[in-house]
Amino acid sequence: MTLAERIDEFLDTLKLWARGLYHGMLTHPAYETLEKEAEDLEDAFMLACFPDAFGIPSPVSYYTAEFLPYLADEFEAWQRRMWDRDSLIERKGQQYHF
Amino acid sequence: MARFRFFGGKGGVGKTTVSSAYGLKCANAGLETLVVSTDPAHSTSDVFDQQFSDEPEPVEAYDNLHAMEIDPEEEVQDHLQDLRRQLGEQLSPAMVNEVSLQLEMAHQTPGAYEAALFDRFIEVMKQSDPYDRVVFDTSPTGGTLRLLALPEYLEQWIDRLLHKREKSIDYYEKAAIGKQQARRMKEGDPILQRLQERKERFAYAGETLREQATFTFVLNPDELSMRETTRAIGGLEDTELTVDGLVVNKLTPEPDDDEQGRGGTFLRDRVETERERLADIRSDFSVPVVAEIETRVREVKGSLLEDVASEIGIDPTEEIAVGD
Repeated sequence: MTLAERIDEFLDTLKLWARGLYHGMLTHPAYETLEKEAEDLEDAFMLACFPDAFGIPSPVSYYTAEFLPYLADEFEAWQRRMWDRDSLIERKGQQYHF
Repeated sequence: MARFRFFGGKGGVGKTTVSSAYGLKCANAGLETLVVSTDPAHSTSDVFDQQFSDEPEPVEAYDNLHAMEIDPEEEVQDHLQDLRRQLGEQLSPAMVNEVSLQLEMAHQTPGAYEAALFDRFIEVMKQSDPYDRVVFDTSPTGGTLRLLALPEYLEQWIDRLLHKREKSIDYYEKAAIGKQQARRMKEGDPILQRLQERKERFAYAGETLREQATFTFVLNPDELSMRETTRAIGGLEDTELTVDGLVVNKLTPEPDDDEQGRGGTFLRDRVETERERLADIRSDFSVPVVAEIETRVREVKGSLLEDVASEIGIDPTEEIAVGD
């Protein structure tokens, strides 16, 4: 193996590592945070649509029931999530991967 | 475009009679008229001695007059069935349980009747082109009136839901890295679409009710009914809806002077009290009394209905100037 080839190989490995670290430490957590935020917003949306699932009467639940056919699988997951969510700190802390 | 008139009031004051009579008055004036009843007891069918369904049908005995009866209970059930069917089509049977629980709950809440009625009212208003006048005989619950007064409130609610949904979808789209497919897309999102439709419906209802509808309250000359009407009018005061008149129904007829027996005295006393009440109504309410209708011995139908119609002091042809 020539010196040039060895340098190229080293650079390739370095690039791979750099990209991996960049993705793992910066982009991915960023997108993850974004996605989590989207999930939280969606949960808030679900709660605004179906508060009666948790005993809060809603004047528009007759109308929001129309979304159920489209939200059916999400609805179940959402309800489960709402029941066993521990705390806001626990949820928000997940992004730090302790 | 049709003009809409809603008759409201406590249960049993004679809304159906007054609405039918007013409908007849419009029809007699040569206006194509539709009477919409929301009474589950089907009293409009009794007034005209003809069975009506939830689609407009011509009243056989009169020209230009049409009627329909909306059963709120049936509307709610239809809505529920429709959604159930949609659920069945899109889901595995195992999933349906939890969701259908929510579905059922939503159709049993106290507001479901009113929501269903309101929905149907909007539909009737949207399809009112063949008519010049549409007369609504609203159900006795105050809820219907409240809903009619609050389309803006519902619209705002929908707006907030719309905003939440849009934002979360936006985040999902941003979170989709590289070639990854976003978990939700704004394009073709059925929820956003439905919310938008709802919003437009409520906006239409709000505008139509503000600009083309008039409310008339029916009351009896007794304290309960007067108080209820005060409350109802008070509830509409903050809104931009037009309340243009009061119909005082079931007034006691005055006996002849030579009738001095027990019946005569009773009637005379009663007329006296009612006269006081009527004076109170005239002075206390900000809305003018447009009709004073005497109690009839029999159910008001046939020629009696014509009589009552002529006693209602609202000129249906005059409204053209206001509305069109």
